[in-house]
Amino acid sequence: MYRYDEFDAALVRERIKEFSDQVDRRSSGALTEDEFKPLRLMNGVYLQLHAYMLRVAVPYGVMNSCQMRRLAHVARTYDKGYGHFTTRTNIQFNWPALQDLPAVLSDLAEVEMHAIQTSGNCIRNVTTDVFAGVAADEIEDPRPWCEIVRQWSTIHPEFSFLPRKFKIAIVGAPKDRAAIRTHDVGLQIVRGEDGQTAFRVFVGGGQGRLPHIAQEIAPAVRGQSLLAYLTAILRAYNLLGRRDNIHKARIKILVAAIGIDAFRDEVERQFAILRHEDLRIPDEELARIQAYFTPPPFNDLPATSPAYDAARRLNPEFARFTRSNLREHKQAGYGAVIVSLKPIGGVPGDITAAQMDVVADLAARFSFDEVRASYEQNLVLPHVRLEDVHAVWSRLREAGLATANADLATDIIACPGLDYCSLANARSIPVAQALSRQLADAALLEKLGPVRINISGCINACGHHHVGHIGVLGVDRKGEEYYQITVGGSPDEQAALGEIVGRSLPAEEVAPAIARALDRYLEIRNDGELFIDTVRRLGADPFRTAIYELTDAAA
Amino acid sequence: MKLLTANRLNDGRVIYLGEADHAVETIDAARPLDDAAADAALAQAQSRPAVFVNPYLIEVEGRAPSGRDRLKERIRSAGPTVGHSLDFPARNETA
Repeated sequence: MYRYDEFDAALVRERIKEFSDQVDRRSSGALTEDEFKPLRLMNGVYLQLHAYMLRVAVPYGVMNSCQMRRLAHVARTYDKGYGHFTTRTNIQFNWPALQDLPAVLSDLAEVEMHAIQTSGNCIRNVTTDVFAGVAADEIEDPRPWCEIVRQWSTIHPEFSFLPRKFKIAIVGAPKDRAAIRTHDVGLQIVRGEDGQTAFRVFVGGGQGRLPHIAQEIAPAVRGQSLLAYLTAILRAYNLLGRRDNIHKARIKILVAAIGIDAFRDEVERQFAILRHEDLRIPDEELARIQAYFTPPPFNDLPATSPAYDAARRLNPEFARFTRSNLREHKQAGYGAVIVSLKPIGGVPGDITAAQMDVVADLAARFSFDEVRASYEQNLVLPHVRLEDVHAVWSRLREAGLATANADLATDIIACPGLDYCSLANARSIPVAQALSRQLADAALLEKLGPVRINISGCINACGHHHVGHIGVLGVDRKGEEYYQITVGGSPDEQAALGEIVGRSLPAEEVAPAIARALDRYLEIRNDGELFIDTVRRLGADPFRTAIYELTDAAA
Repeated sequence: MKLLTANRLNDGRVIYLGEADHAVETIDAARPLDDAAADAALAQAQSRPAVFVNPYLIEVEGRAPSGRDRLKERIRSAGPTVGHSLDFPARNETA
C-alpha cells in the first residue's frame, strides 16, 4: 500500500498544527461557531445531535493492521469504544470532545491517517472496488489511480470551494463493485485503442433529493490525460454549477439541466485550453505509485486445499460462511474473506475497539497485513490462503464478526439516522435491526440469495436507498416516523433508481412488508433468477402488492 | 411552555438552560420558559458562546418535547435509542 513521503507527512503535520490553533481559538471564544464551522468541516469534524463527530478518511478503503489498531486506540481513548464505517469507506467517531481532536489527529498522523477533505465542498475520499488487486475480471488494479487522484485532489487550491461536495469512484473491471454511476464522476478502467490504460468516464451521478444515474461523457480517456480530463470536468462544474441553492448545486443538476452533450462540449473546451504539460502523469511517476501496489509475495499454491475442503465438509456453519463471505482470488490457493459488520440485530457498519484489534491481528497474520473497508460497510481481508480460512473464520466467529450474510438480505446498508445525525428525519438503525431479525434465518437468507437492502434516515440518502434492490427512506409525517419503500434500484453496471411502490409505512410495518416482498419473489422467480432480475423481468407490481396486502386488507 | 437547548462548546453534548442560568445536562433540570422568558433566555444564551453552541427554543408539555421536532428532541435529551453508545461510557462522562 501507499506510504507517505516527506511531503505527505509534512502536509498532515502542518494541518494538525493549524487545526490545533483553530480549536484553541474556538475554545477561548476568539472564533465564533459560524467562523469555526467551515474550518472544522475541512478537518472532518461535524457537530451532530449529541456530540462532535470526527470522520476519518480511509483512502480508497485500504488499511494495514497498524492503522486498524490505531483506530481501536482512538475509539477506546477518546470515544465510547467503537467506530462506524460509512458508505464512503471512512470511519466515524461519534463522541470526541473538541479539545481532544488535535490529539486524535496527531495519533492518526503517526500511522499516516487524517481527516482532511472528509467533509466540505471539495473532492472527497476516492472509493474503489473492495476487491481491487484480487478480482480475476480486473483489467488493471485501480488503486494506483485512486492514489494519483488523491494526491492531485488533496488541498487542491482551485477545487477547495466547489459549489458542493464532489465524489469520485474508480473501478478496474467491467463489473462495477463500487457503484461508480452514483458518483459525481465514475471512472472505469478500459483498454484504449492503443492497448494502453484508458478510462471510461461517467459524470453527473448522485443520490439525495434529486437522484441521477451518471451518464457517459467519454469512452476512453488516456491514462496519462486523466488528471487533465478531471480538471476540465471540475473546472466546467466550478464555473457553471449553481451556488444559489444548496439542493441544486451538485454536478448532477448541472449535467441534467444543460444536457450531457452541452456539458461534454464545455469539458472539451476546457480540456483544449489546459496546460497539459502540468497535468500529464509522467510514466515514471505512474510506475513509482504502482510499485506501492504490487501484489504481495503470494506462495505458489495449488488451486484447492484439502484441509479447507475437509473443514467445509465437516462443519456446515463454516461451509455456509464460505459460500456467502469468501470471494474468489485471482491467485490460486487464496481467497478474500468478507468480515461482516452486520450481525443479526446489530448496527450496520459499527465495530468495537476489541473487534478492530481482532481484525488487525488477522490481517497481520493471514492477509499480508492488509484490510479493506467496503462501501457496503463491511471489512475485507483480501489475501487469505484457503487453508487459513477456517482459522480466520473461527477467530471472527468468537469476535462476532462472522455472520454469513455478505451481499444477502441482512447485509443491510444503513446510515446512522436520527439516533445520531442532525439532518435525519427518522431513525434508520432500529428499522435495520428489525429487518435483520425478521430475516435472520440462515437457510432463508441463502434461499433468497443476493438482495441489497438500503436504508436512509432522510432524503440526503447516505444509506443509498435509491439504488437498493429494496430501498427504505425515513420521512417525517407531522412528527412521526414513516418509511417509503422503493423496489428495483441497482448500484452496479446496470445502475437504476428504485421505484417508489406506494404510501409510506410506520416503522413497525416495514420489516414484515419487506419480508412479504421477498416471499413473493420466492414464489414467482424463475429457476436460478436473482431477486433484482425478477424485478427487472416483472416490474415492481408483484412486490407492491405483497408490501401492501395486509395493510390494504386492514384499511 | 418552552425550554432552551444547545450543544455544549467543549464536548458538543446536549445542554439546557437550567435554574439560575446554569447549563444543565438533563431535560428534567431545564427551566420551563413562557414566551417572554424564552426570548430573554435565547438572547442570554446567545451572549454566552463559550458554553452554548447554536442555542434554540423547543416546545414542551411539562418537560416532554411536544413540537414538530419532538422525536428529534426526545432523542437529543435521552441519547441514541440503540447501538454501542449505550454500552460504553465515554471518557470524561459518568456511566
